[in-house]
Amino acid sequence: MKPAAFAYCAPTSLDEAVRALQAADGDGKVMAGGQSLMPLLNFRMTRPTMVVDLTKIPDLSFIEQRGDRVAIGALTRHADLEFSALIAERLPVMSAAMPHVAHLAIRNRGTIGGSLSHADPAAELPMLAVFYSATIRAQGPAGRRDIAAEDFFVSALATCLDPDEIVFEIEFPVLETHTGWAFEEVSRRFGDFALACIALSIETRDGAIVDARVAVMGVADTPLRLRDAEQALLGARGDAAAAFGAVVRGCVAPNSDIHVSADYRRALIGALAEKAFTRAWQRAAGGPK
Amino acid sequence: MSKGDSVQPADLLRPRHVGQPIRRTEDPRLLTGNGEYTADRKPDRVLHVAFRRSEQAHATIVAIDTAQARAAPGVVAVFTAEDVAELYKPIIPVSRMANYYATPIVALATGKVRYVGEAVVAVIAEDRYLAEDALELIEIDYAPLGVVTDPEDAAAADAPLLHDEAGTNVLVAREFKKGDAAADIAAAHTSVRGRFRMTRKAPLAMEPRSYCAEFDGRREAITLYTSSNIPGIVRDALAESLDLPGSRLRVVAPDVGGSFGSKGSLYPEEILLCVAARKLRRSLKWTADRLEDIASSSQSFAETIEAELGFDADGVAVALQADVTGDVGAYSIYPWTCALEPVQVVSFLPGPYKIKSYRGAVRGVATSKPPTGPYRGVGRPISTFVTERLMDMAAKALGIDPLEIRRRNLVRDDEFPYRIASGIIWDRTGFVACLDAAAEAANYAALRQQQAAARAAGRWFGIGLSSYAELTGIGSRIAVAPGMPINTGSETAKIRIDSTGAITATFGVASHGQGLETTLAQVIADDLGARFDDIRVVQGDSDGVPMSTGTYASRSAVLGGGAAKHASVLLREKIKRVASHLLEAAVDDIDVANGFARVAGTDRTVSFKQVAKAVYSDMKTLPVEAREELEASYTYDPINGTTACATHLAAVEIDPASCFVKVLKYVVAEDCGRIINPMIVDGQVHGGVAQGIGAALYEEMIYDDTGQLLSASLVDYVIPSAVEIPHIDVVHIESESAVAGGFRGMGEGGTIGAPAAIANAIADALAPLGIDVFELPVTPERLFRLIEIARSQQQQ
Repeated sequence: MKPAAFAYCAPTSLDEAVRALQAADGDGKVMAGGQSLMPLLNFRMTRPTMVVDLTKIPDLSFIEQRGDRVAIGALTRHADLEFSALIAERLPVMSAAMPHVAHLAIRNRGTIGGSLSHADPAAELPMLAVFYSATIRAQGPAGRRDIAAEDFFVSALATCLDPDEIVFEIEFPVLETHTGWAFEEVSRRFGDFALACIALSIETRDGAIVDARVAVMGVADTPLRLRDAEQALLGARGDAAAAFGAVVRGCVAPNSDIHVSADYRRALIGALAEKAFTRAWQRAAGGPK
Repeated sequence: MSKGDSVQPADLLRPRHVGQPIRRTEDPRLLTGNGEYTADRKPDRVLHVAFRRSEQAHATIVAIDTAQARAAPGVVAVFTAEDVAELYKPIIPVSRMANYYATPIVALATGKVRYVGEAVVAVIAEDRYLAEDALELIEIDYAPLGVVTDPEDAAAADAPLLHDEAGTNVLVAREFKKGDAAADIAAAHTSVRGRFRMTRKAPLAMEPRSYCAEFDGRREAITLYTSSNIPGIVRDALAESLDLPGSRLRVVAPDVGGSFGSKGSLYPEEILLCVAARKLRRSLKWTADRLEDIASSSQSFAETIEAELGFDADGVAVALQADVTGDVGAYSIYPWTCALEPVQVVSFLPGPYKIKSYRGAVRGVATSKPPTGPYRGVGRPISTFVTERLMDMAAKALGIDPLEIRRRNLVRDDEFPYRIASGIIWDRTGFVACLDAAAEAANYAALRQQQAAARAAGRWFGIGLSSYAELTGIGSRIAVAPGMPINTGSETAKIRIDSTGAITATFGVASHGQGLETTLAQVIADDLGARFDDIRVVQGDSDGVPMSTGTYASRSAVLGGGAAKHASVLLREKIKRVASHLLEAAVDDIDVANGFARVAGTDRTVSFKQVAKAVYSDMKTLPVEAREELEASYTYDPINGTTACATHLAAVEIDPASCFVKVLKYVVAEDCGRIINPMIVDGQVHGGVAQGIGAALYEEMIYDDTGQLLSASLVDYVIPSAVEIPHIDVVHIESESAVAGGFRGMGEGGTIGAPAAIANAIADALAPLGIDVFELPVTPERLFRLIEIARSQQQQ
């Protein structure tokens, strides 16, 4: 299990990195933390002629507040997100999700830009990007462009990035008025990819939901924002957990794999939705954070 | 057989090491990354081997084109089966069993391939990267043959044959019979039955298989470093196959990172490396990557069992019958044969119970999958699963508590030795004591109350028991595998005090995680009267002793420990004789302890170092005839062997949302005789239970209908990690066995008891839904289906 031969470069600027990818003419691969790429190289499932290592590029690892958004540099490690006070305060769902991202050793090396660009349908960060309606910012030969998260993920392990485009930062809008939220994930073992996962946040006024955000993953080729489920929550009160579970179940058409069947996944996402609703409602009502 | 453990007055004064939780002497090197594994070997100008493996499950090899690979950069040689056929003799896993066909073991697939992952071509290159590059340049033309993945289909008369010479895919068939089980079941008050299934597992050691054949041109000799737990067996088999005497073929198992049975058979790659090293006159090295290791190391536990158990009105089991089909894979392995696992199932099905009549039929059927071999527990995790499920089903049917039904059926203290219906003889062991101790440690009555409260609240809470017995440390009267022509009944210890006074104890056993360097030194320290820290234990090297078979089948404490005890006593007598000269006292008045010989009741002493100097270096002190070399060797054979037993108790709760099983409480009460090191025993129990929980809830090798492996990585072959394993309480019942030291084997028990206990706990938790558990592992998906079906039936 050794990779086929490839060339390697570690440019010190984004411009240089893009040029290196251009020169590879579609056969280049970007490496950041290497946590997904290295196994693919070793299995020879991907055979780039050139690996462009981004880790020598300065200023791509940061977490900062920009008005009503939180901007995160593409090279920011999962562990930095996990332990960031700013994330905990402004993006609580992300903060709750980070301990579920693989294992500690992987979180110490893996990066947000890498996870989004790899686009595993059962990974947390792509779902969080969709959940928060993040803007994914990429640089290519033609300059920079902003991509909405929901447009970014095309299918399993596929994004809308061109082969010579590189994600350099992501902006997450803060859901300022959403006082209730929950993140529920079930994986076979601690640290495994999710069998099913849901993120939910709600804004309530006078004992009813006036705004809601729902995203799920592990139940489709890409993470999904469930707008029908969000709609269904408008006006709902604290007794709506079961109804919400049923709506979410109805919104997904998961696949079967060797671990679990589509029926199982559908039942599980419904159960997680109920749990998430109860938890989010408690938080919105000023219950335990 | 000697008792050897009667307490003498001097014993009371001597520091005791046996029984103490002494820290493992091997751990400082292993835990600081200073172990030396096979992959760490760096012989001069070593070449690296990579294997092109079959992607077909059953196909004729029409042609192999290696021309491009031979010309690739860094490639030194490319070998197909044809290229090496004349250089060795195939190794045949023979047996005296009737109805058994021994498939020959060859270095590379010959004529056809029989499973995905079978090695077809070997590339030898300057480094592993270049070797793997060259693999891609090999063209193999296959003509697909029919694939047989299901053993019951494979046993059909018209099924494609994996081994034409065998004339059938049923490589082995046997039947055990006592009385008329069918008639007794028909006449029984109550009977319970089921079709049980345990799916295929990978034993999965942390270190993948690794071999390094070091060629010594000066002596035309090979030293094979191998990640094996049977280096002596490998040496003997390869010596025969390569026609090399043991003086020119040495096989060493250095530090080995676990085996659990997967490194306990001879492998084709071991043959290939030695054959190719000899041909190329170069040292060669190969370490499996995880994919290769999962796809080509021996697998296990793949059986379907139709079983029925009859009871009288008092809940006494009277008759058992079972038909076992084992999915043994494509080849019979050496030396254990493909009969090992499935035959062990029928041998042990009656378990620790006094069932009068029995019929157990077994067939081992070849399929287009990797060979099955030993895995911790061998057969008994399955036999215990079946019998213990039947016990609980009967308890439910008869309205008897599961604890009580076992108490009524276990062999009692005054009934040993007891021959169970399959012919196995249990010697005196704490069957009932373990049952009682587990119930007490878990506070069984309180658990039942907790369960009642949980059920009232609609929660799925269950309690599962499992009792089993196993044969351990077996001697020459019983073969480890049926009809096998190698001696698994003895082990040798050689203990030497050299001219510096240092003590070196050499064994043929081959620790691969058991801590034998520690436990054997504990035994020697006590019986030789040496200081623990002064003893170096050497093992796993075929040059160490004339013959050894290694560490497997829970034998090393009994056989290695027994040999250590006897050799220690012989050497102690030599020390006493020298000391009697030096101290001018009668031999009988000399006591040996803590590295000194002393005239009893005085302060007159000589150290081992002084004794050694007098014997070896000082030409005046001792008369010539008293200069006995300070060395003793003993080959110990326990003749029959020992029984070990345990009761496991698990309490679980099932999450209705995810169908995950949470183990809330786990208790093991076990009898492994006199304990050498309680910390090591606890560690063995914990590790065994973890693997048993893996078998019960997580692990499953999945092959599709075309024989492709779908669970080829640790993402898809789900082994539990530390987080998934509950706290495990271990209670020790120390009833001494009749062998030297009073020890019993205990390396496998955890894995034997756990699947049954977990299965029973799940069935108990789901009793309100009327669900029984017949198939392991109980994955979330299987549980989800069972619950869906039960609910729809309840609604109707």
